[in-house]
Amino acid sequence: MDFVTMNILESSMVSLCKEMGIVLMKTSYSTIFNEALDFTCGLADMNGDMIAVADYCPAQIGGMPLLVKSCLKEIPIDEIEEGDVILHNDPYRGGLHTPEHTFFKPIFVDGEIMGFAVAIGHIAEVGGMAPGGFCGEATEIFQEGLRIPPVKIKKRGKDNIEVWKLLLANVRTPRVNYGDLRALIAAVDLGEKQMTQIYKKYGKEKIKETVNDLLLYSERRMRAELEAIPDGIYAFSDTIESDGIDAERTYTVAVEVHKRGGEIIVDYHGSSPQASGPINATLGVATSAAYNAVLHMTDPTIPRNSGCFRPIRVMAPPGTIVNVDFPAPEVGGNTETHPRIVGTILGAMAPAIPNRVMAAEGATHCNFVFGGVDADTGEYFACYDLEAVGWGGRAFADGNDGVDSINGNCRITPVEVYETRFPWRIESLAFNVDAGGAGEFRGGVGYTKQMLCLNDEIICSQMTDRHLLAPWGLNGGTEGGVGATLVMKNGREDWQTMREAYGKASTSRYSNVSIRRGDRVRLVTPGGGGYGEPAKRDPAAVAEDVREGYVSKAAAQKHYGYQEA
Amino acid sequence: MKFSLNGLYIESYTKCANCGVLIYEASAEDSARKKVHDGSIYCSEECVDWKLARDARRAKAAV
Repeated sequence: MDFVTMNILESSMVSLCKEMGIVLMKTSYSTIFNEALDFTCGLADMNGDMIAVADYCPAQIGGMPLLVKSCLKEIPIDEIEEGDVILHNDPYRGGLHTPEHTFFKPIFVDGEIMGFAVAIGHIAEVGGMAPGGFCGEATEIFQEGLRIPPVKIKKRGKDNIEVWKLLLANVRTPRVNYGDLRALIAAVDLGEKQMTQIYKKYGKEKIKETVNDLLLYSERRMRAELEAIPDGIYAFSDTIESDGIDAERTYTVAVEVHKRGGEIIVDYHGSSPQASGPINATLGVATSAAYNAVLHMTDPTIPRNSGCFRPIRVMAPPGTIVNVDFPAPEVGGNTETHPRIVGTILGAMAPAIPNRVMAAEGATHCNFVFGGVDADTGEYFACYDLEAVGWGGRAFADGNDGVDSINGNCRITPVEVYETRFPWRIESLAFNVDAGGAGEFRGGVGYTKQMLCLNDEIICSQMTDRHLLAPWGLNGGTEGGVGATLVMKNGREDWQTMREAYGKASTSRYSNVSIRRGDRVRLVTPGGGGYGEPAKRDPAAVAEDVREGYVSKAAAQKHYGYQEA
Repeated sequence: MKFSLNGLYIESYTKCANCGVLIYEASAEDSARKKVHDGSIYCSEECVDWKLARDARRAKAAV
């Protein structure tokens, strides 16, 4: 291996992927891209193996290889021409969930296809029964928006107008969608252009050889990491509280992690049959979640590419909550079930590697989505809004406070932008007191966002979790705080759940409630579980938590024996 | 996974009963590897073996 060239090439490709993301961020129209950064940009070889990626959204990073490979099964490589751009979002053939749109563009050098520039982004409005793409009460895929099989949105450099017309006729916000789709294409255009230059600089054969070495290098380092973990079968399960249709029914995510030498097999047999509501994960999600969990418990300096994933195998039984069958709904699988799977794998591995896992995090993106006609402009608006949660305590540190769930790596939209773009006033946004599980290292806290509706009507839907079942603690740590969604209707003085106010089956998953001018909505995000016995917590850390307002004096006394100085 | 004769839509989705990957009817590679065991379709012999081993392990644990 030529380590010098490999290092230079890897850095160049990762920088290019970051640059693709910056183009996407700066040219997109929706807050989900230009504020939340809910996208990922990467490069693949001609087999669909990921050869470089930037540190954007982990759910999409792990999903990328299957996405591209699935497309190549349907559009043979010899039918792909220079200047083509392929689009795909089908959850049943490699996709993650309906909003996640994958674009990839071939990289040709001297008439030969060398690989692909790839951009995956969460389009905020995709049609379907609820504005914003998350219908918490969907019972089939057709209610979740437009499903796009692998198609060429550009052919030989020219727009495929018929595809564009179909796409934009089926969404509520065609102007904004057009801008976002163009931004994703701009990202792959840049990737293709710059990568072509890199090929010309180093030569095709040198890059092929070096990329092969790079993938092998990542694989070897990953295998070395796995070999250091004791062999065994590690089992764990967690429970999802409802599917939005039957509020009383719970669903199990079960894993058996088989660790043998330098490989790891994640077997999900024992997980619940697929749900009627949209909490089901696709195979792409189940695969990506296993990769995500392994990346979180191994050396973060290993170059991220398909080589890392070679020692990992996934067994996701069809027709279950971790591998949904057509035509069951699936939109929440990528945002809610993915982090729950990761947490379950980390929980399974806790006895083997207690220093590399954490207690349960909030494991939801809160997914508060809404739309309506703006009273000032007359234009339809739609928003996919994600919120952050508390993360679990670790063996060496407290959990993160108010950070996007483990598969997102996204930012929350700043209050000023939110209020400028949408007819809400954010009346308060503050961390929740006593919401982190107690422990030697306490769980991170979630927060509460309170909003006042400034439009005649906003149609709201949500797909969240952890309203009833709290994030678990680890090794003696206690549970984190649960979340909630509450509404105070104009003229009332009490807060109600969505079940109480609108007769919805679930408090956490619902569709199309009509929020009126003067109504208030309060989003409470869950905290993380604590790690280790609370009695072992450093008294100085307890005093600091009380001083900073993370923990009340009463809770500090109860969990830690705190005495005010 | 089976496409219609005109190739415009999917007639049926076929997944490995163990690992859940799609098995493409038109793929020579998939067809060569796939196995049928107890009426279920598997993507490979390896997945049949894995299923049998898991069943045996769980039966033993249940005793």
